[in-house]
Amino acid sequence: MILKMSWRNIWRSPLRSLVVMGAITIGTWAIIFLMSFSFGMVKSYVNNAIRMETSHIQIHTPAFKEDREVGNLLPEAESKLATIKSSAEVEAATVRTILNAMLVAPKGTRGVIARGIDENEEIKVTEIDQQIVEGSYFGKGKNQVLMGKSLAEKLGLKIRKKVVLQFQNLDGEITAGAFRIVGLIDSGNKMRDDGSVFVRRGDLNRLIGSEKAGHEIAIFLKDAEQIQAKTAALKTDYSNDLIESYTEISPDIKLYETQIGTSFAVFVGIFMLALIFGIINTMLMAVLERTRELGMLMSVGMNKGRVFGMIVLETLMLGLVAAITGMILGWITIQYFSGSGIDLSSFSAGLKQFGMSTIIYPALDGAYYLQLTISIIITTLLASLYPAYKAIKLRPVEAVRKI
Amino acid sequence: MKVIEAKGIEKIYNPNKIPVHALKGVDLEIEQGEFTAIVGPSGSGKTTLLNIIGGLDRPSEGSIEVGGKDISALSDNQLIDFRKDNIGFVFQAYNLIPVLTAKENIEFVMLLQNRSEAERNQRTNELLKAVGLEDKIDKRPSELSGGQQQRVAVARALASKPTFVLADEPTANLDSESTSNLLDIMAKLNQEENMTFVFSTHDQRVIDRAHRIVTLVDGKIDTDVRR
Ligand SMILES: Nc1ncnc2c1ncn2[C@@H]1O[C@H](COP(=O)(O)OP(=O)(O)OP(=O)(O)O)[C@@H](O)[C@H]1O
Ligand SMILES: [Mg+2]
Repeated sequence: MILKMSWRNIWRSPLRSLVVMGAITIGTWAIIFLMSFSFGMVKSYVNNAIRMETSHIQIHTPAFKEDREVGNLLPEAESKLATIKSSAEVEAATVRTILNAMLVAPKGTRGVIARGIDENEEIKVTEIDQQIVEGSYFGKGKNQVLMGKSLAEKLGLKIRKKVVLQFQNLDGEITAGAFRIVGLIDSGNKMRDDGSVFVRRGDLNRLIGSEKAGHEIAIFLKDAEQIQAKTAALKTDYSNDLIESYTEISPDIKLYETQIGTSFAVFVGIFMLALIFGIINTMLMAVLERTRELGMLMSVGMNKGRVFGMIVLETLMLGLVAAITGMILGWITIQYFSGSGIDLSSFSAGLKQFGMSTIIYPALDGAYYLQLTISIIITTLLASLYPAYKAIKLRPVEAVRKI
Repeated sequence: MKVIEAKGIEKIYNPNKIPVHALKGVDLEIEQGEFTAIVGPSGSGKTTLLNIIGGLDRPSEGSIEVGGKDISALSDNQLIDFRKDNIGFVFQAYNLIPVLTAKENIEFVMLLQNRSEAERNQRTNELLKAVGLEDKIDKRPSELSGGQQQRVAVARALASKPTFVLADEPTANLDSESTSNLLDIMAKLNQEENMTFVFSTHDQRVIDRAHRIVTLVDGKIDTDVRR
């Protein structure tokens, strides 16, 4: 009965209740949507970074991390790769030879990272073939190179033109090879497109003087949830090597991920602060205009605990109904956009610089809905305490006497 | 059997600012089944006396026993519980909970008393019938006339099976037809359930129906007539 009374009491001043509920609904919706958008953005950035650069897990020899020196090879890279590939959690893995090189072109010279890749295995890990905007992936013939379209433009290079890559071989001598440009890449990350080129690992290995050489194993797992476990397992298997998950390889990703959690908390905090005052105000009004009725209820035997509970319940329902409506609306909005994404092409120039995709797919973990719900429940409860306290402080005689 | 026994009741409002001596030593005993009107000029202390008898207010001096129990020693929350189980109230106005139907209003106190659903339903129907509002069972107070609302209030007051019913000017807002109708109902319940009624009034027609008339003048009992 008290539940019924509380619910009906909300609708005694429908306009006033609706205004507060509307504010809560819109606030909740806005938080959900903004957060899902931010998460979508981070996720796209992270996935992009994983797919293009870091993969899930990488293995190097520890010295390579400090000094990207040709001699810092990963011992027995190929046999390790074979073992790793055969494990159940691994979707794809590949080995790379990575050199600091000078790219010599008719119009200028530039320092780049030359990545020697196994053409068939690499595309299972990084999908680099998908990013070719001109020309094609490696084809027949030796010494082919893929490079960023933006880099090619800066150096005045075109497809089919030749460039020279210069680097140290394993004996410490400078060596060089002429490579023909077969494809131009636009990965969406301009900074990386400008700084690296892709060649066949075999071609590089021949030039540095070791068929089996490799500096890096990159692993892509079937399920991203397994990253921590697999990283730990690899650390015990190869205790002499440096095993890193993507958050260790690229701390900025980790930072992004924690940052977003913090900004969620800040958003929610600000919203709750505004909420608490709005609710106190509304409920105080509701209590004051019901003075006589509350006095009557206490006169006929409704004790203070029940009166208190009724006001708290009323506030809670007001807040929860609105919050849940807001969340459902938020969820619907997310569902609506998650199919096609939100196209930001008109702002994309800036985003591309940082390796973000121009279409954002908003998404929000269920845990955040729960967090938001709990925050709203706590806030509403807090906000209801003062009006409920006011209600039980009424003295029934005085309340009944008031005309 | 004595239902109410008030001795030497004094009430001083605002003792620290401008004191108002509303009751100046009232002794009053009410027997089970009496149908008593408290009358007197405006400001004579009728409402004050009823509030004290009903445990809504505390006397400045004197003692008050209801059903043999001294209620002056009870805490606020104990008083609320005491009222719930022992006293039925009918106020001049704003008796009913606006968001509840007639039936729910009558059930309300029984719910506070934790009575079973079967008992609640039976008593509610019985009382709605007694006050002649069986057909208004699902109406909200705003859909009822003033007289009908007061009849629901009387039914509500009796629902808890109280020791007695207190009514402060229950007919003040009613026309003469509704007034006589309400009094018929109160008199009938007084007869049938042997329920004790204590009510205040200014209305001569109401006074005429009472079996006992206690007249207050200036905070004291002037006359006390049984008929
Ligand atoms: N809360 C209060 N504070 C101060 N004085 C009060 C208060 N309530 C009543 N009084 C005073 O006490 C006296 C008795 O008031 P009371 O309401 O009991 O009279 P009443 O007989 O019920 O009058 P009426 O017929 O007008 O209802 C009056 O002088 C009134 O002004
Ligand atoms: Mg009065």
